[in-house]
Amino acid sequence: MHIPDGFLSGPVWLGLDALSVPAVGYVARLAQRDFEENHVPLLGVMGAFVFAAQMINFPVGAGTSAHLVGGALLAVLLGPAAASVVMTAILVIQAFVFQDGGVLALGANVANMALAGVLAGYLPYHLLGGGRLRKPAIFLGGALSVLASAALALAELSASRVAIPKGMLALSAGLFAINAVAEGAITVAVVSGIEALSPRLAPRRRAARDWAPGMLAATAMLLATVGALFASATPDAIENLTRPGGSAADWFERAAGVVIVFAACVLIARAFSRRRAA
Amino acid sequence: MHHVVLESWSRQNSALHARDPRVKIVLLAAYLAALGTAARMPALTTLCYAAPLAAAAGMARLPARALLLRTAVVLPFSATFAAFSMMAGDAGRGEALLAKSYLSAAAVLVVTATTPLPKLLWGFEALGFPRFLILVVQFLYRYLFVISGQAQHMRLAARCRGSASGRLGFRRAAGAIAVLFARSYARAEGIHDAMLARGAAGQIRLLAGARAGGRDFAFLAFGIAVIAAVRIWSL
Repeated sequence: MHIPDGFLSGPVWLGLDALSVPAVGYVARLAQRDFEENHVPLLGVMGAFVFAAQMINFPVGAGTSAHLVGGALLAVLLGPAAASVVMTAILVIQAFVFQDGGVLALGANVANMALAGVLAGYLPYHLLGGGRLRKPAIFLGGALSVLASAALALAELSASRVAIPKGMLALSAGLFAINAVAEGAITVAVVSGIEALSPRLAPRRRAARDWAPGMLAATAMLLATVGALFASATPDAIENLTRPGGSAADWFERAAGVVIVFAACVLIARAFSRRRAA
Repeated sequence: MHHVVLESWSRQNSALHARDPRVKIVLLAAYLAALGTAARMPALTTLCYAAPLAAAAGMARLPARALLLRTAVVLPFSATFAAFSMMAGDAGRGEALLAKSYLSAAAVLVVTATTPLPKLLWGFEALGFPRFLILVVQFLYRYLFVISGQAQHMRLAARCRGSASGRLGFRRAAGAIAVLFARSYARAEGIHDAMLARGAAGQIRLLAGARAGGRDFAFLAFGIAVIAAVRIWSL
């Protein structure tokens, strides 16, 4: 779900751009440490690979098909920092070359899919990917990454007071849930396929040594996602927040809420990457 | 493929094509920000915002119909939400969603249709965007058509072997992606080896470059004045 320009209100797109630009700069520096400039071709080609893989349809029953989103898959295969950079590059190309997603809204789309989506896709794998629970962890990662991105996009749209009928919200929450299950299943199937084809390309994680911070982050992510979905499905509680009109102070509060959530995501990501580097 | 059209548009000559990419990026940002902070878009305001874009497209001699059609890809999404707004009894808001998303996409298209992507990326790097990300974007774009072509061949081959649905179809699609991944990885390694063989020393240079001259500064000043005038008028 790529948000075009013109949908998000000033504070929302400005806040998310202000947050995404430094966050992407930071993630790019991390990725550069793991993959020196020599390996830029690998990340670029991986972006092209995800683009192309999105053209391959998966039958999901009832005559409909789904396609890969890719954030969780890249996080498992390349690590979270590189995956964020590749997903950001994909969003940039989609916005500028394919008119898919806005340019001012790029900050929001990057935050939803390249930062939060990749992080949510990576966390379960980081925690459980080493042991017997590897496949369930990858499945959970795929599902969570789609849910997190979708929930954040819906939250941003309603924070921008874009009218969405209640029935539509419930329907789209259901559709996102189906997509999430499909993404999890696709990610597991593709990782298994790559393992069978050439094991050296599918790195195996050792079990995480320290559980507490990861567990905390995963729980926070899960709560945020589920919370946002519930809030979108039963908008009575947030109706107050999204009512038309409102003073400058209200606007400031709404923007501040969104910024705080993303700041938390970025801080968690920082803590994680430091752990990885150590 | 339709993006090849963009390549041929962006490599022509006109006063707008010749402008420094940094100037075009700054003007695009100013235009989008002016539009992004507008609340309502009655017909007259929409026209005022559309006029500079039409002038720029005319100056670059871009084909108007193709430009308008290509921009229409944003309409299904925004029309849906515009319909929601109208159902909620807020027709003005729906109008604004449609006009703002369409004009924004048109503005981005005018810039990408008059600036080849390598130059545009050079402009972003010169304006301080992270170099590593810009390099990844450039490589992504360079290999996009190669790998998409490969995926299309694989899809065609799978269809020639007969269609499968259900569990088998699912596993087969996953297998196709796994093969595509392995091939892409091997290709990336090959590219890297070729770069080393040609003496790459770990630093990748972006070839494009530009120097802002008097005309660029004049265009920048004029563009900012027009955008500011439209924004202030529509307050």
